[in-house]
Amino acid sequence: MSSAPIAAGGKGSPGARSETGFDPELYRRFPTKEERPEGELAELERVWQAPRGWRLLTAVNNNYIGTFYVGAAFLFFLLAGILALVMRVQLALPLQGVLPQETYNQFFTMHGTVMMFLFAVPAVEALGVLLLPQMLAARDLPFPRLSAYAFWAYLVGGLCFFASLFFGLAPNGGWFMYPPLTSTAFSPGINADFWLLGIGFIEISAIAGAIEIIVGVLKTRAPGMTLARMPIFAWAMLVFAGMIIIAFPAVIFGTLALELERALNWPFFDPTRGGDPLLWQHLFWFFGHPEVYIIFLPAAGLVSMMVSSLAKTPLVGYRLIVLALVATGFISFGVWAHHMFAVGMPRLSIGFFSAASMAVSVPAGIQVFSWIATLSTGKPSHNVPTLFVVGGLVIFVMGGLTGVMVAMVPFDWQAHDSYFIVAHLHYVLIGGMVFPLFATFYFWAPMMSRRPLSERLGKWVFWLMFAGMHLTFLPMHLTGLMGMPRRVWTYLPERDWEITNLLSTAGAFVLGAGILLFLVDIARNFRFTTGDTAGNVYGGGTLEWLPNGLYAARSIPVVTSRDPLWDQPGISEDVEEGRYFLPGTATGHRETLITSPLNAEPQFLQIMPGPSVWPLFSAIFTAGFFLLLTVQAYTIGVVSGVLAILCVLRWLWETDRVVEPARVDIGAGIQVPTYVTGGSTHGWWAMVVLLIVILMIFLMALFSYLYLYGIHGRVWVSPPATFWLAPVLAGYGGATGLALLARRLLARETSTLWSPATNLIFAAGTLALGWAVDLHSWRASGLSPESSGQGATVYGLVAHQGMVVFVALLYAVYIAARNSRGLVSRPRNTSFDLATMFIAYCGVQGSVGALVVRLFPGVV
Amino acid sequence: MRAWLLLLGGMLVWAVHFFLLYALASLWGSAAPARIGTGLVTAACLAANAGILLLCVRTAKTHDAETVIGWPARLGAPVAALSLVSVAWQGLPALLV
Repeated sequence: MSSAPIAAGGKGSPGARSETGFDPELYRRFPTKEERPEGELAELERVWQAPRGWRLLTAVNNNYIGTFYVGAAFLFFLLAGILALVMRVQLALPLQGVLPQETYNQFFTMHGTVMMFLFAVPAVEALGVLLLPQMLAARDLPFPRLSAYAFWAYLVGGLCFFASLFFGLAPNGGWFMYPPLTSTAFSPGINADFWLLGIGFIEISAIAGAIEIIVGVLKTRAPGMTLARMPIFAWAMLVFAGMIIIAFPAVIFGTLALELERALNWPFFDPTRGGDPLLWQHLFWFFGHPEVYIIFLPAAGLVSMMVSSLAKTPLVGYRLIVLALVATGFISFGVWAHHMFAVGMPRLSIGFFSAASMAVSVPAGIQVFSWIATLSTGKPSHNVPTLFVVGGLVIFVMGGLTGVMVAMVPFDWQAHDSYFIVAHLHYVLIGGMVFPLFATFYFWAPMMSRRPLSERLGKWVFWLMFAGMHLTFLPMHLTGLMGMPRRVWTYLPERDWEITNLLSTAGAFVLGAGILLFLVDIARNFRFTTGDTAGNVYGGGTLEWLPNGLYAARSIPVVTSRDPLWDQPGISEDVEEGRYFLPGTATGHRETLITSPLNAEPQFLQIMPGPSVWPLFSAIFTAGFFLLLTVQAYTIGVVSGVLAILCVLRWLWETDRVVEPARVDIGAGIQVPTYVTGGSTHGWWAMVVLLIVILMIFLMALFSYLYLYGIHGRVWVSPPATFWLAPVLAGYGGATGLALLARRLLARETSTLWSPATNLIFAAGTLALGWAVDLHSWRASGLSPESSGQGATVYGLVAHQGMVVFVALLYAVYIAARNSRGLVSRPRNTSFDLATMFIAYCGVQGSVGALVVRLFPGVV
Repeated sequence: MRAWLLLLGGMLVWAVHFFLLYALASLWGSAAPARIGTGLVTAACLAANAGILLLCVRTAKTHDAETVIGWPARLGAPVAALSLVSVAWQGLPALLV
């Protein structure tokens, strides 16, 4: 038996079959033939056992967190749905008095906000947490505590946010919160603040989930699962998470800016002082339109998985679907301004956005034709998931067609802000996400329930929902074309809107009845379990249908096909008998196999953290921080924020430990290390993704600066004298240099244990010094953040830099503390590497920001 | 990195093209400099896309799908082709509007 992976004819050489030097011939050793040692399975079960009783709150296993997450998202779907029903009662007839005007405003704002932020995005992220580890045959996603944190922050914060409705404090400016309606002049209460700060924790939760999913898909796939063999859902989630990383920073910066305007009078959006309300629309829709695809793509991935299984045939056009997912991920970022056709942009700009809006329908069309081809070449059964898939397809295509209509500018000018748009967006979202989600519930429920859901009840659920949906939204097109604007709380009689509105209300209740019946089905048949599940009821071919436990599959198989359960005979039995990779626990800890991103070749064994109360506490205090600031309890809010940081540090303290032995056998004599550093680690990938998020927020701040200059450049004042650049750049550049030096010192045997960590503290200190000079020079120049759009954006950039400098300082102190306890391994250490990367990045970002706002306009 | 560039190269060109067009229209509205700039940027991006497409096709011919860059090249070729059409489509408003 060899003791290490064998090189396969040169890594990276032309025609190389190996990405890392691992010899694919080693896969031939599996499935192994020898008997597994007695007690191996029992030990695996012990290590992965979830806590019981109230300690279940500390569980981090994806089976539990994923199920909680899906359940919570569905709860918010129900709550937002109830709001919709009450609104429909109000609109059923003219001059109804069910809801007062202000309450109606809060209802439609909360309906949209909850559906988009608390249901749609979390629901698909939850399905990623629940399904991906099983589909990839990973023991869990690489950061289970991060998943737990994301879930608890979302649940606690979301419930508190929703509760604002009961106190009349819910936001009331619509789900996209346009200023000046939401500025203090027109929204003086704290309702808008609830939205702006309440969305904060949801953004954090979404980004935490996205980091988890990107690293999980790229680094924890089963050996042999190359990009060409990845389940389509994994592709969809990869694109989805990438889009979150690029899109969410726009709304993060936008909400911060609007809150700064409301709380501190920084006029980002006030045109009387050099701001511009259209800046908000650009920032919001740069997030908001991709958001539609952020919701649609994972659902499309699920549909692609299901049509193949339901039609009992391989998916037609796998590569074309991947192409469509990737193309949608890009092109959807070129359509944000089609929500702004009516605001008066240059004709050429409108032309570009109109063209992109039509182009984005091409990849969606590719997927639709692929699904139809798969269904027509296979033998689909008449069951509930098939009904929901086909029904969703019909609805989505209808919504897509009206989407192409509103992509045409003259039509959009007529339909803008009318009920036609409300009908269009509901067709797209219900067909593109809600129906696929219900298909998913029926299709994958047997994976985590003792009993499948009922086929008989399910068909009733489908037909009620399908009929109710059309009855609600089809007449709404006409209501819109007859001129009824959206977001009005009532209307006068004899405008010919009565009949279509009454039909819509009746349809909403039929739709609601379908959902109610679904709850009955859940109550009667869903029985959560992690062991004796109902199993592969619909005959799926992917790895989530392997026999599963809390540790996912007993052993991690070698994948040679896209549908291993169809193409690799005996794989389920061999996996269950431990004849593949990692049949037990090699170190006595929770662990999973980390593989390479392209070809999924085994690289090392990651030690996974177990149950912990700290992600829960961190989440509670994070949500507390945002919500307490909203109700202007500043002191307690800050205390809550500090506690959140301490809890996160406490949780991190237990991670990144070197374990014994240094190399372990993961099956068939193949050995991998248990601790590595550098670019192959999951931590390195996560840090890179996090830095992209920070970079995007920075770019959005820079965009705002340049945008406002383009609108109000004539009133801008000169920046501080150029000589201030010298100390600022010295501080930022010195920090980057010192951080990199610290990294080199760690690798030197001659340096003492303290010197690298001390150097890192010096680096963070130099960074802080550079930032302090930066801030001082602007204050000395006389420009204040309240004075103009220029002041607001400049200080916005400085504040963003200040935030990352604060994190860098915290990071350096944390590393020093780890070092003092002997937790920084030599010659290399992952935590140390990541701190170095972070501080070095902060230095570069600070330098670029300082150069832009001091040299443009002026020198350049 | 080479595999990722082959796979995503076409769409990256599309993104660069789109944001340059947005910048041009923001700076000069619908005036002649924006239209001429659009034409130049579109021509450059079409050329870049054609180059990526050619590279993908040649790589796919010389590397089977099981190699590290074989499948990314096979996917990158239609991505670049779609991007080629999209870039041309995206540039049309400068001629028509």
